[in-house]
Amino acid sequence: MHPHFDLLQAQTRRAFLRSTGQFSLGAIAAQALLARDASASPAAVNPLAPRMPHYAPKAKRVVYLHMSGGPPHLDIFDYKPELVKRDGQPVPEQFLKGKTFAFTTGLPKLMGTPRQFAQHGQGGIWMSDAVPNFHGIADEICVVKSMFTDQFNHTPAELLLFTGSPRQGRPSMGSWTTYGLGSENENLPGFVALVSSGTQPSGGQSLWGTGFLPSVFQGVQCRSKGDPVLYVSDPAGMDRELRRKTLDALRDLNEAQQRELGHPETATRIAQYELAFRMQTSVPEVMDISLEPPGVLADYGAKPGDASFANNCLLARRLLEKGVRFVQLFDWGWDFHGTNKNEDIRDGLSAKMRASDRPVAALIRDLKQRGLLDDTLVVWGGEFGRTPFREGRTSGGGVLGRDHFPDAFSLFLAGGGVKAGLSYGETDELGFSIIEKKVHVHDLQATIMHLLGFNHEKLTYRFQGRDFRLTDVHGHVVRDILL
Amino acid sequence: MKPHALTAICVLLAPPAQAADTPDFQREIRPILSNSCYKCHGPDAAERKGGKDGSGGLRLDTEAGARAALDGGVAIAPGHPDKSELVARIKESDPDELMPPPKSGVKLTSHEIGLLEQWVRGGAKYVKHWSYVKPRQPPLPEVTNKQWLRNGVDSFILARLEKDGLSPQPEADRLALARRVALDLTGLPPSPEEADAFLNDQTPDAYERFVDRLLASSAYGEHWARQWLDLARYADSAGYADDPLRQIWGFRDYVIRSFNANKPFDQFTLEQIAGDLLPNATDDQLIATAFHRNTMTNNEGGTNDEEFRNAAVVDRANTTMSVWMGTSFACAQCHTHKYDPITHQEYFQIFAFFNNTQDADRKDESPLHGYLGEEQQPQRAQWEAQLAGLGATPDPQKAAALRKQIDGLAKITVPIQRDLAPAQRRKTQVQLRGNYQALAEEVTEGVPAAFHPLPEGAPMNRLTLARWLVDEANPLTPRVIANRFWESIFGTGIVRTSEEFGAQGELPSHPELLDWLAGELLREKWDVKKHIRLLVTSAAYRQSSKVTPGMNERDPGNRLLARGPRIRHSAEMVRDQALAASGLLSRKMFGPPVRPPQPNLNLSAAFGGGLDWKNSTGEDAHRRALYTEWRRTAPYASLTTFDAPNREVCTLRRNQSNTPLQALVTLNDPVYLEAAQALARRMMASASTAAGMADHGFRRCLTRPPTALESQRLLALHDEALAWFKSRPDKATAFATLPLGAAPAGTDLPDLAAWTTVANVLLNMDETLMKR
Repeated sequence: MHPHFDLLQAQTRRAFLRSTGQFSLGAIAAQALLARDASASPAAVNPLAPRMPHYAPKAKRVVYLHMSGGPPHLDIFDYKPELVKRDGQPVPEQFLKGKTFAFTTGLPKLMGTPRQFAQHGQGGIWMSDAVPNFHGIADEICVVKSMFTDQFNHTPAELLLFTGSPRQGRPSMGSWTTYGLGSENENLPGFVALVSSGTQPSGGQSLWGTGFLPSVFQGVQCRSKGDPVLYVSDPAGMDRELRRKTLDALRDLNEAQQRELGHPETATRIAQYELAFRMQTSVPEVMDISLEPPGVLADYGAKPGDASFANNCLLARRLLEKGVRFVQLFDWGWDFHGTNKNEDIRDGLSAKMRASDRPVAALIRDLKQRGLLDDTLVVWGGEFGRTPFREGRTSGGGVLGRDHFPDAFSLFLAGGGVKAGLSYGETDELGFSIIEKKVHVHDLQATIMHLLGFNHEKLTYRFQGRDFRLTDVHGHVVRDILL
Repeated sequence: MKPHALTAICVLLAPPAQAADTPDFQREIRPILSNSCYKCHGPDAAERKGGKDGSGGLRLDTEAGARAALDGGVAIAPGHPDKSELVARIKESDPDELMPPPKSGVKLTSHEIGLLEQWVRGGAKYVKHWSYVKPRQPPLPEVTNKQWLRNGVDSFILARLEKDGLSPQPEADRLALARRVALDLTGLPPSPEEADAFLNDQTPDAYERFVDRLLASSAYGEHWARQWLDLARYADSAGYADDPLRQIWGFRDYVIRSFNANKPFDQFTLEQIAGDLLPNATDDQLIATAFHRNTMTNNEGGTNDEEFRNAAVVDRANTTMSVWMGTSFACAQCHTHKYDPITHQEYFQIFAFFNNTQDADRKDESPLHGYLGEEQQPQRAQWEAQLAGLGATPDPQKAAALRKQIDGLAKITVPIQRDLAPAQRRKTQVQLRGNYQALAEEVTEGVPAAFHPLPEGAPMNRLTLARWLVDEANPLTPRVIANRFWESIFGTGIVRTSEEFGAQGELPSHPELLDWLAGELLREKWDVKKHIRLLVTSAAYRQSSKVTPGMNERDPGNRLLARGPRIRHSAEMVRDQALAASGLLSRKMFGPPVRPPQPNLNLSAAFGGGLDWKNSTGEDAHRRALYTEWRRTAPYASLTTFDAPNREVCTLRRNQSNTPLQALVTLNDPVYLEAAQALARRMMASASTAAGMADHGFRRCLTRPPTALESQRLLALHDEALAWFKSRPDKATAFATLPLGAAPAGTDLPDLAAWTTVANVLLNMDETLMKR
């Protein structure tokens, strides 16, 4: 037996008792960090070891599909016949008083949707013809039409949505989740971010960043092209067999070091190299969608080798299936200002959706078919909505676009303990304000945390003398939409 | 409030209980009150609850408040727990009466309830929060083992160890010390020649002279600049969504020069906060003000410049108070601080100092300062000499031409701080809930009443604020700065929460030592090199880092220093060391940022250009990490994997994580593979025997020679790898030459590939990644 083994076991046990006795996650993480210096058995104090939340969760994992830019909700979910009737009329002044818009000044003109709307599914959810593939999943989703935020520019709005604060520096939702729950698969990261359409979201890497939480809770950005995780491939000339031999030598040398100096950090490092070795096999495997049957690829519209949103939807399912807790998809190109034809809410939106609504619908059906939808929460949405009027800069042109709008937008949730086939919340007849069941982005965060089994007010971490949480000092669980 | 993990450490570090059973307010009581009560019964009047009608609510953060009459009774009756409402309410069984209220989620433990009760019984004495009291340099404590002492630091460390019946470790061997102190002072390992010179130096002050050589090396300034750049949130891009590149590297070079010139820390402070206000400000003093131009600029379409100018000013106020005074000032941006005596209004008085500069979230980053780089200066000197040489009868045409040439020299620019003209000055108003559009009463420049006052009659500007920060009367700055140096050298601050010295921070492990060090900083007139030298020449620092049985259990963080420090390298050191050991490292200093190899991500910044870069070539591919282009939305991945921050905001303390992604970097990143290949070539060229080659590579990474066991294991790996590569010549060629390039003619490629395998292991050893 290792000379330090008893001692280190004792340390581990003590750390464990201290942290579970009072269910303080701050304590666990801090302790895990301390214990990193203090344990020979990283599995026992690994900050990523699976943990139980505050109460039995409805959702064990989350896939968050973010349409970066702000999809035009009035042309997708929030049907406003009165707005169509008054298309072209000036915006009533009471709706503009005290408001600032990103690109619109003066007196803009109302714009009714040019899209055709109909009700779908047993819940009669309104959807437009922009999202034909969503029609078939109407009975699986809960559309919230009364979302609102405080921010009308992309960067702060995305930061607020994913970190609870409009400024950089706070941990992201996925980091909070892995901090609270650990990771179920020790050969894969607990939190994965996937980016499509060639551009980072406006909020940048902070949207899957760890802020002040320990860096092990950082989202790992995986890529569908090239090395899925940076440097996961052995270099040219090295293969698995020789890598194994080198790691054996490295382990022997590190063990000698540990015998001499007695630092538990060394044991942790030995374990992390072994984990890295396993990840080198498990990550490329899970990221290889060519292993999927052709029928599944066709359902999603995925093609091996692409860096598409469709591929990422399929990857998300593969990752979730393997125990990844939080998969965050970011897709660029949803900023429908009307400055070019891609940003037109008619053909532009149809074109964007053609590559988008099908994989989303396929993902939900696929999860359901595999029995995963019940305990997997799916969220689809943007960082804010778009105005009921034409955007100022482009209002004279032939392309129809809308400005950023924080006061109301729509998104949907599915699975993971959320009522299906439900349309929740209402905006006024022109879509300027929410008339019932307002849901702030902090409320959405509180609800997601609740579904994962956390009291959002108690999932805290002490930093610079203050206990921080995802919802800052706000947030109410939206109980009406829960099963 | 839940007790946090550090309670365990505080208990460990607490001196043995005194005979009298009254708990210590500072150490035992204030943390409970602060964590559990101040939120509703603290400095923030807006949130304060309870108390007699019209009293403004019950305060438990002040002695007077705790003793004020309630509607019947008093919160604290000194000496009489039975008459104290506080004691009654924390022991209450009715959940509607219980304090803290159950719905707050805060719950006192029975131990805490007992402590509070005993404290009330013992007279409920309040004392001012320790860090707000000006330190007085204490005398050195008495110790038994006097021959162990090397300087004042040791008296405090040993006194504490002796009190606990512990003894320090013997001094580490010379090679271990050589590597440790070289890495701590310069961020680079010593070369084998430097280490040998120290090893063979028989003079009694050999170690001190070795330290002095390191302090005098240019690498010293680079290493310490790197740490300051985290605080300065220095980056080569403007931040936010499109994150365009920004030219501000002149500031980075200023910081390096300042450390190398051993600029006193007070002068360094004045220049960065208010260099533009110094009389006849030099180029360097203007460049220094870029410290506060490292705030982000938002160029996203549709954004309001005033909103983001305001955000930058908020950042400047917060960063200043955090970096110099360890105060989490940011809380007071939205409301009066809930734990520390800083009001909402006082926040905006500090804000006001920074609210009158010309910069205003502009895309062009104006105002800029242009200056000539070193390359241009000889040319300018030459033309100026010619101009002067035109003599008494100058040819006007020739003079004008020369002047034009001089003015036309390409200048380096850096964004700086400049005050607005008096007529353009902005009014500062309190911002309700921190919202720049919800304005309340007007305020003027000032400092919180809880701290020392500004000098009478001084102009209310940044220069006065800077002087106030480094004033001898400032209770925080000398402690905060001394603590930060300590953290760099010993791994953990004397106050572990080096970012927070207020009521919610942790207490110092060695309070007298911290005050003594703060006193030394002042006594030495802020001489930084002298201060760092004091730390690294202490016996405490020079101990072996070997852990004795029982000590891991007792003091896992090594806070008592019963052994020498052993911590992981920073991200930059991991890279620089690999390049140094392999001989690839360029020692070129200063200048525009460089782009070492990294894989393409095929992504663009939002509304901005591509995030991929064209790799630098030549020696710029192998510069020290601090010269790497730092783009905030996509910082260099191999550095962030080792906990380098994105520098969007001031980073006061980095994590020291240990993750599998780090292993992937040092095993597989082409930068590290190239280093292994270069190291392998050095190894093969260094000796004629395999054992000699292994020995050379080992020393290049770890300074010390391998033990017999280590040497055998490396040779065994070499033999295994050699056999493997011999039957796979293509793999041998690839592994030995990609990306470094062809091996010298006649090289046995399978053998070189086998040594590359060994070098790859050497660069990944636990000991390589740690200071020993």
